[in-house]
Amino acid sequence: MTKKWNLMLVLLLSLTVVLSACSGGNNKEANAPAATNDTKETVDTTTPETPVAEEQSSGLIKATDVSLNPELAKNRKDTLIVGMVDPKGVFNPLFMETAYDFYVNYAIFDSFLEVKADGSYVNSLAEKIDVSEDGLKYTYHLKPGVTYTDGSPMKASDYLFTMKLLLDKSYDGESDPLSYHIVGAKEYNEGTSNDISGIKVIDDNTVEVSLTEYSALSPVELGGVYIMPESYYGKGYKQGNLESVKALNSKPVGSGQYKITSYKAGQEIVMAANENYFRGAPVVKNVIFKTTTDSTNMAMLQSGETDMDNINVSEDNVEELKALGFLDINILPNNGYGYIQFNHNDKKFQDPKVRQALTYGLNRSEIVEGIYGPYADVINIPQSKVSWSFTDENIEKYDFNIEKAKTLLDEAGWVVGASGIREKDGEKFKINFSATADNPVVESLLPIMTTNYKELGIEIVAEVLDFNAIMDKKTKGDFDMFFAAWGLTPDPDNTVFITKGAQNDAGYSNAKVDELMAKGKKEMDLEKRKEIYKEMYQELNKDVPMILMYQRTNMTSVNARAQGFDLSPYKEFPFSLYQVQLEQ
Amino acid sequence: MKQYIIRRLLQMIPTLIGISIIIFAISAMVPGDYITARANPNMSIEKQEQLRAIYGLDKPDYQRYFIWAGNMIKGNFGDSMQHKQPVTTVINTYVWNSFVIGIFALFFSWFIAMITGIFSAKFQYSFFDKVVTLLVFICMSLPSFFIGLLLIKFLALDLKLFPVGGMSTSGLNATGWTYFTDVLKHSFLPIMVLTMLSTGGLTRYFRTSMLEVIRQDYIRTARAKGLKERTVIFKHAFRNAMIPAITLLGFELPGLFGGAMILEQIFAWPGIGHIYLNSINMRDYPFMLGFTIFLAVLTLLGNLLADVLYGIADPRIRLK
Repeated sequence: MTKKWNLMLVLLLSLTVVLSACSGGNNKEANAPAATNDTKETVDTTTPETPVAEEQSSGLIKATDVSLNPELAKNRKDTLIVGMVDPKGVFNPLFMETAYDFYVNYAIFDSFLEVKADGSYVNSLAEKIDVSEDGLKYTYHLKPGVTYTDGSPMKASDYLFTMKLLLDKSYDGESDPLSYHIVGAKEYNEGTSNDISGIKVIDDNTVEVSLTEYSALSPVELGGVYIMPESYYGKGYKQGNLESVKALNSKPVGSGQYKITSYKAGQEIVMAANENYFRGAPVVKNVIFKTTTDSTNMAMLQSGETDMDNINVSEDNVEELKALGFLDINILPNNGYGYIQFNHNDKKFQDPKVRQALTYGLNRSEIVEGIYGPYADVINIPQSKVSWSFTDENIEKYDFNIEKAKTLLDEAGWVVGASGIREKDGEKFKINFSATADNPVVESLLPIMTTNYKELGIEIVAEVLDFNAIMDKKTKGDFDMFFAAWGLTPDPDNTVFITKGAQNDAGYSNAKVDELMAKGKKEMDLEKRKEIYKEMYQELNKDVPMILMYQRTNMTSVNARAQGFDLSPYKEFPFSLYQVQLEQ
Repeated sequence: MKQYIIRRLLQMIPTLIGISIIIFAISAMVPGDYITARANPNMSIEKQEQLRAIYGLDKPDYQRYFIWAGNMIKGNFGDSMQHKQPVTTVINTYVWNSFVIGIFALFFSWFIAMITGIFSAKFQYSFFDKVVTLLVFICMSLPSFFIGLLLIKFLALDLKLFPVGGMSTSGLNATGWTYFTDVLKHSFLPIMVLTMLSTGGLTRYFRTSMLEVIRQDYIRTARAKGLKERTVIFKHAFRNAMIPAITLLGFELPGLFGGAMILEQIFAWPGIGHIYLNSINMRDYPFMLGFTIFLAVLTLLGNLLADVLYGIADPRIRLK
């Protein structure tokens, strides 16, 4: 009996040890996942636009003491480990969808153009690009001597081949090459022709593309195509069936800085330097993209298991990372913004005065401060402050002003009724707010909005739904207001504010905006485009199609032993991987 | 027996048809589809329609059901929209990682639960019983992310005994024994948390069923004829108390392959749980439906297995 009791005692003790660990309670750690931003934000899928941007807002916090580096990281002399969310394993620029698959593909493939930190473009694979005067003919001269990682040379005909894959009828990726207006694209897509008449391969290093119509986005759309080797991907390809190409998604061959040596789904992608890279062999010989999650990314940086990662920006996290001392922390504006959408098909939101009043009457800075602290700005035009098209000239700031909001509502005919709620033509001012479940922004927005609007005499009724359900309501037009976030493309052209635009589900319509957007898309001169978009943003600012909330920031923390990254909101980390050096 | 199994397998067919209709109907009723979930700000309406046509999302729901069900019968689960790979390939890639933690956690939780169950029944209302009950309820009620993060903080960051997360050390390129121990080290924390979470309930089951058996006449008889207490408990009582556990074991089968969504997320474990969760959020129909059917089949098989084993273990139950 006593023996058995001893055994039980041991078991018991071991259990108590575990549990005392549980009850110890370090709330900071436990709170980490609650701080994650669940706001669904989409990633840019088009490559950015030509022109020059203003300088990036510099948010670099340098490491204070590199000697604090953990042994684990110090001992890793020729390998850089990048922590990120797991990619889906779509290592093919045609089919990639998530940002993390993009990162992998950026390191493996190249295109004629490459983005610079300021959002403008330089020639990458192209030695020279000739554009005809009417803007309808592009001639690309490929740099000589570029090879793929399987040793075969890159030819101009590979560009045609890649375009064929993109224009194939069975293509189900998210690129939209039919909208590039290449001559003969439709015929190839429909299968009536087995060639794209508008793309002529002149010799091994020259290819000429003809368009039926041009837009300001054409140079980037055409030059941003990642070139894939026909000798590898073309083996089993027949027009109308991309299955053989898709089958190679996990075994990519490109001309890029790195090549994949092993891929363990959900765990890591191990890559080795391409010694024949056309811009010179990368300095760091091995790069590993390792899967991390919100709950482990900080701990892994701390223990040295990863060298860099993207961590949610919050005051606590920044403080904690700073305290580690061996990290360079880059805080960069996010390419996107949060907004509250009005349903413009609803009569009460059709009056701009009402929309202005609802903006004045909402304490936006308190909400944004509450969620992101100093790491987000309240915005008044739907554009990133680092974009070349950004303007703050004659932009009304809509600072919280409840009296002004009341006056505007009175002017609009909504007067306070007997119940304390505003009324017009017998209708009470009541807003059904469709709130996203588990969204920290909505959680801090709702109480403030309810109080603010109650003071204005407006009743808010909230209904909590999942993101997709709200998007569905948006498509059907069955909503009053909801909060969401948009991703921004580097080019200001979009369809969110155009009458009947693809992204304009809210029914917004403004003739002046339509006209300026159309004009901006056709203008090739950057200075002139700036003027056009300035005017457009001023109009949007006055007309308030939505309550603009904030532009937040992203934080990339890099172990200070890795130097040489060229990061900006437009230039993601993989583009400068080949320049990175590990300090010993 | 053979006849019984065949009949049960045949009965599974209408059940599966019913399940597939319900699963499909629920997924079709949920608002949104893969295209809306992507919410790509650059996608034109034409492109959206084009993609819906390629994916077959433009057809009415009943047609989509028959196309999907027809393909399933032929063994074609379709391609995952997110992974651009056949659903079966995706399942095969991730499910074994989940299985590794699942099987170990199953083993440990059953082992611990059996022992503690027996002893708390034997010494009912003793100090030991009360402490075990308390511990068990604490383990059950603490959320897994909380325990997980605490263990990471104490065992991985402070004491540096285990790695923070993942399944293997990056850049190690180990094979054979080194690889095995590396994975073992990485899997320790997730297995521990999963075991802690599932032991609680099981202990209660075993304790109750043991208590019931201990009060039976034949146990008194066994004691009366002078058998050692050890023999009475482990041979006579324990075996009979374990019979209801067979049913429980049958239910564990889908759990082994289903993955642990929250836990995998915390420890960055490359299991199927968070892939499944993602597919639901992204409305990746082929994967979501395919994997749900896979789990449904496992549940049915688990039930069948339990019934067959029951018949073998307990002669009082005759299978017809």
